Amino acid sequence: MTFAERMLKIDRRIIFLVIGLCTLLPLLYPVGLPIKISPEVRGVYDHIESLPERSVVFLSFDFDPASKPELHPQAIALLRHAFKKNLRVVAMTLWVTGTGLADQIITQVAREMEKENGKDYVFLGWSPGNTAVIINLGQDLYKAFPSDYGGKPTKGLPVLDGVHSLKDITYLVGLGAGNPGVEAWYVFGKDKYRFEMGGGCTGVMAPGLYPLLRSGQINGLIGGLRGAAEYESLIDRKGTAVAGMDAQSATHAAIVLLVIMCNVFYFASRAQQGRG
Amino acid sequence: MPFESIIGAWVATGLTLFIFSFLYKDNPVFKVAEHLYVGVSVGYTIVKTYDTVIVHLIWKPIVENQEWMLLIPVFIGLLMLTRYVPKASWLSRYAFAFIVGVGSGLAIPRTISSFILKQIEDTIRPLLTLMPGEGVSFTWNLLSPASGVNAIIILVGVCSVLFYFFFSVEHRGPGKAVARTGVFFLMIAFGAAFGYTVMARMSLLIGRLTDLIEFSDASYGRPTLWLLVMTIGLLIVLGRRTRSEPPQEG
Repeated sequence: MTFAERMLKIDRRIIFLVIGLCTLLPLLYPVGLPIKISPEVRGVYDHIESLPERSVVFLSFDFDPASKPELHPQAIALLRHAFKKNLRVVAMTLWVTGTGLADQIITQVAREMEKENGKDYVFLGWSPGNTAVIINLGQDLYKAFPSDYGGKPTKGLPVLDGVHSLKDITYLVGLGAGNPGVEAWYVFGKDKYRFEMGGGCTGVMAPGLYPLLRSGQINGLIGGLRGAAEYESLIDRKGTAVAGMDAQSATHAAIVLLVIMCNVFYFASRAQQGRG
Repeated sequence: MPFESIIGAWVATGLTLFIFSFLYKDNPVFKVAEHLYVGVSVGYTIVKTYDTVIVHLIWKPIVENQEWMLLIPVFIGLLMLTRYVPKASWLSRYAFAFIVGVGSGLAIPRTISSFILKQIEDTIRPLLTLMPGEGVSFTWNLLSPASGVNAIIILVGVCSVLFYFFFSVEHRGPGKAVARTGVFFLMIAFGAAFGYTVMARMSLLIGRLTDLIEFSDASYGRPTLWLLVMTIGLLIVLGRRTRSEPPQEG
């Protein structure tokens, strides 16, 4: 067996180990590679930045703990930005398995930014029906969510003052890890009830959402951990996403190297077989 | 440090390491974590659904607020359960028919508007721009999504890919060239999707390793170190036991 053939049959656990080390070492010893801000992430940031105080921003946390590493930093960064701008935040989730996580995120950031539940923000929780919930919210928010996550009646909450349905919100950002997610909010929400909308999603979903971005159907897109890192840089509050960028770059470099090596060994073994 | 945070750190660390042990090989420790994940997810969903739907959206409004109209959707919903009674299972068709009808009615016009009409509108963009005082111009900037050259690339890409999936005509001669161009565009799209997928999977690994690093802190009782030793120990013991067991007959 030639060297190229031996390399092609290498124990896959060695590759796992290489990838593991390429991820772990930059996390332990960060170098702080520069983060360039993309226009799609800036789109969401600029829109929130342009909103007047006490505008209503609607955040939908449509993900569960399985997508936490990518969407949790996005949610934290968006909430910090909205609270810093003194905007009113209405949050909910279309994913039942994400209810506890979404509540934990908004409670944690609100406590950190000294915001009051019911006055500065409200977490509506989850309601069954997937996309039907969006249509319900477009017709009457108080019928879709008669009470918030804590059981308090939504009618009369200062944070919802002047808000009767989705038509009354200023901006919506859907953070989605699948279906229902960003697309559902566009199809059943923005397209019908006419409000401005941005999105955040996992890396896997990002290529599928770029057509919506280019056509102007959404005005910004935060894609994966990289998007979260860009947003953290924009609000100047570096968190877990920025910390993970060195590791991301190192693993990508390792994977590119492995792909090149694999191709070199493949063609070398084919050439040797041809000669033999 | 609150006690529940310490417990949470130990559970999260243990289950992460148990799941990672699959990278070495399939083993009972991984199976325990896998089954726990499925069980907890299903249990959480059942409890949350019961509390939100049965208690807050059905029981309380009907019993406390006398909203009797809610009995109609409850009745339609209950019809679905007749599938478990063979003689009355035909009744469930009314419930399914209602859901399919309403769902299609809501989804079809909205989907056509959002994904077909809006995307066609974006695909066929004007190539030339009329600027006041500057006349007609064509932009060559590849980096600008709105440039004229990108409009041509998108138009060529959409048409060639659609032709590639058009099987009523044999792909020969000029048709073959168009179909090949379609394949070229498809490969770029798959490459971009794969690149993003790799990024997403690495992000998940980074997330777990970030937590493992955080939980190696003394304030949590260093669960990462203790549980790593325990997991490796368990894998060695289980590996030895598997080797010492006689092969099953038959």
